[in-house]
Amino acid sequence: MSESAATIDVSLDRVRKSYGNVAAVKGVSLAIPRGSFFSLLGPSGCGKTTTLRIIAGFELPSEGEVHIRGVRVTAVPPYKRDFAMVFQNFALFPHLTVAENVAFGLRMRRIPRAERAERVRQALALVKLDGFAVRYPKQLSGGQQQRVALARAIVVRPAVLLLDEPLGALDKNLREAMQVELRALQRQLGITTVFVTHDQEEALTMSDRIAVMNGGAIEQLGPPREVYERPATEFVATFLGASNLLEGRIAAIEAGKAVVDTAVGRLVVAGERRTAGERLRLAVRPERLRLHPPSSSQGFVARIREIVYRGATVQVFLDCGKQPILAFLQNAAPDSFPWGPGDEVRVGWEPESLVVLDERPR
Amino acid sequence: MSRSANILIVLLAAISYLLILGPILLVVVTAFSPTDFFAFPPRGISLRWFETFFATEELRSAFWLSLELALAAATLATVAGTLAALAVARRRGVIAGILQGLFLAPLVFPTIILGLALLLFYKVIGGVPIFLGLLIAHTVVGAPFAIRSILASLQTFDPALEEAGQSLGAGPLRTFFLVTLPIIWPGIVSGWMFAFIVSFGELNTALFLTGPGVTTLPIEIFSYLQFQGGQLVIAAASAVQVALIVAIVFAVERVVGLARLVRSE
Amino acid sequence: MARPSLISGAAIPRRLLAGALLLPPLALFLAFFVGPLVYLFWVSLHSASQTALYGHQLTLEHYAQAFTDPFYLLIIRRTLLAAGAILGLCLVLGYATAYLIAPLPPRRRLWFLLLLLFPLMVSNVVRAYGWITILGRQGVINTLFRGLGISDAPLPLLYSFGAVAFGLMTILLPYMIISITNNLAAMERQYHEAAQSLGANPFRAFIHVILPLSSPGIASGMLLVFLLTMSAYVTATLLGGPRAKILVSLVYDSVTVFEWPRAAALAFVLLLLALAIAGLILLVLRPGRVQGRG
Repeated sequence: MSESAATIDVSLDRVRKSYGNVAAVKGVSLAIPRGSFFSLLGPSGCGKTTTLRIIAGFELPSEGEVHIRGVRVTAVPPYKRDFAMVFQNFALFPHLTVAENVAFGLRMRRIPRAERAERVRQALALVKLDGFAVRYPKQLSGGQQQRVALARAIVVRPAVLLLDEPLGALDKNLREAMQVELRALQRQLGITTVFVTHDQEEALTMSDRIAVMNGGAIEQLGPPREVYERPATEFVATFLGASNLLEGRIAAIEAGKAVVDTAVGRLVVAGERRTAGERLRLAVRPERLRLHPPSSSQGFVARIREIVYRGATVQVFLDCGKQPILAFLQNAAPDSFPWGPGDEVRVGWEPESLVVLDERPR
Repeated sequence: MSRSANILIVLLAAISYLLILGPILLVVVTAFSPTDFFAFPPRGISLRWFETFFATEELRSAFWLSLELALAAATLATVAGTLAALAVARRRGVIAGILQGLFLAPLVFPTIILGLALLLFYKVIGGVPIFLGLLIAHTVVGAPFAIRSILASLQTFDPALEEAGQSLGAGPLRTFFLVTLPIIWPGIVSGWMFAFIVSFGELNTALFLTGPGVTTLPIEIFSYLQFQGGQLVIAAASAVQVALIVAIVFAVERVVGLARLVRSE
Repeated sequence: MARPSLISGAAIPRRLLAGALLLPPLALFLAFFVGPLVYLFWVSLHSASQTALYGHQLTLEHYAQAFTDPFYLLIIRRTLLAAGAILGLCLVLGYATAYLIAPLPPRRRLWFLLLLLFPLMVSNVVRAYGWITILGRQGVINTLFRGLGISDAPLPLLYSFGAVAFGLMTILLPYMIISITNNLAAMERQYHEAAQSLGANPFRAFIHVILPLSSPGIASGMLLVFLLTMSAYVTATLLGGPRAKILVSLVYDSVTVFEWPRAAALAFVLLLLALAIAGLILLVLRPGRVQGRG
């Protein structure tokens, strides 16, 4: 389904934000369809939070346009835009009860008291905090506060829900549970959601589409599977999961395929629009590698340098020629790994697992 | 905020600063006046009133007394304050709360009542030399300022540092001098400064505890204003006080930094 | 979990060391703060005497007088009215200034605060003198008015309750500004943004969120200003003269005629009033409910 067929709830058109000489956001364009869960993923300082704040209206872009539900809101102040936000530290008003916090947005929209009370009740039920209405934020745990913040945002039925690293303050187990709950809630309500995180696992599990950002620009935008399995740039390949990076030069083009000389050996990749002599960067993920006994004919010769046992997986550090290679192997059977450091093995992978990295972000 | 609201706020703030700083600036400017009586606008610059100030016996001795008193009181207050702060910091519980409340009480307690109480108390125990009486009063009044400043330093001080010192073989006394003290000494210095300045400008206890021939500069200025009208030598006396305070604040700011200075207020 | 006391060690028992630290300041405060006040209270309960500090009879007459004598009641009422006016003005001017200063970058904000700290360190007598030169007969205002032809005779601006209230207000204003500024500056930006994200325009965000959350700063500012107003003898005397006396002036007056029990009683009446009003302020503002992060 093409994007133009679905309704676009949020669109950024070549948005740029500079502070003096420093550009925090460089030419970001995106279109988020209604009801989808969209993540902005990247390390600190990549511009993801600034981008979110531009959508919210807390920052004004230096260039570019912002539209929410087709309305141009670039210069419209936040309190006039149709969105709601969950902040990193929740920002629950300490002087109000949970119910009053949740009702705040409804009060600002001058919803009558009876309807307010009912909607607050529903919202609290949705986040499973029935019975907490008269408590104060300081009496709640981190997870509970987070849910109040969520209830406060969804109760106003916004066009867009913005989440600024909302799970960052929670401990690991709670975070994973909340990821599932949050996504389920979002599906149930169908609210267009923009989610900012630096945690790539979080983005992968929750999103319909991910925008991987670095240095103020989007390096790749696409569904989780695509971004993970076909990373466009070295940054994406190494920020999401791990990658083995290989430098190579095309030795020849034959029958639409390019034969590439690399430090591990000769590899074959798609050859359209490539020329002999061209330099390429390739990537293959450690979990896609298979180890074979030295007598096998598959893969390339390598020597095991070190083995790290990690319970469910085994990390194997290899040297393939002069190229260091990292492999993740599943601990699939009791005796599945008969080798030790110093042993010679053969390492190989499915051809589809090999990815060519453009340096140009898509 | 709307345009007019912003303008209103800026206006009110400007008025505030003007009302607060204006009178002091005026006094300092007046101190340099060459005329016999107050004249506005100022007619020129002259140091005659400063000469008169230092030439006048009562004013000069009041100035020196205030200076000695402030030096002694600040030092005592800082010593007492450091001990109190160390004893109270990081203690939880009702007793610690009460102790802290006690030590900080003179900050909010009307010191004029304390002055009266001490006056009677001194009489009842048979009389106390005036300077000593003032010294005690100013130590009690100044200690909370020192305590607050030192407590602020202690609160940001990670106890792990002290434990590290001990794990490396330093006993409690050496730990204090080699680890704790160097870290909290900016708090001690700015605490000393506040205690000094408080003592130098203190009126309320000095009101009751000074006596004939033994008065502090503020009380002397007060008497002059009450009984001899607006003599310009008072402007000079005031300017001297202001100059001293500015000098001390500058010196301490150099040593401990601006943030620490303002934060402990 | 109890944290180790600051000075600890194996050789010397911890408690003993902590006690040794505590003893000097505690002794100082008990002997020269608590003790004298207790004694003062004791004195206030006695009748007057010509020869000794106080008479032999135990009596509450001085307290009773303070609350029944019309003269005292008038002074008390005037004092509280002046305090109310001062609080009101300090609140308006103080909040506006704090609202302006608080969002500034830390460095600049600190300089603005230092500019307020400095006048607080200058003795009240100097600041009152400043107002005398402004409001006096030969003062700045009168000279200006005469020069501009607004009035011929000098205006009696000084020696009135208005002068006392106004002068005292400017002297105590920095306390209010600093108190509210610290509160606002420490307040998370996110509350303001959260309110806006929920549809509150800046004015409504202020009324519903910022103002309530600054109640601790307002409360401590008001308490400080009020308490200092009640004990501002020197300023009141210099700016108000003999006709505009406040309660604390009566304490001093009693001392000058050596009526110690009355002076003591009036001092405690002042303290009582101060505590009562302080309690009222805390009750109305309820700063406690704002503590803790949201």
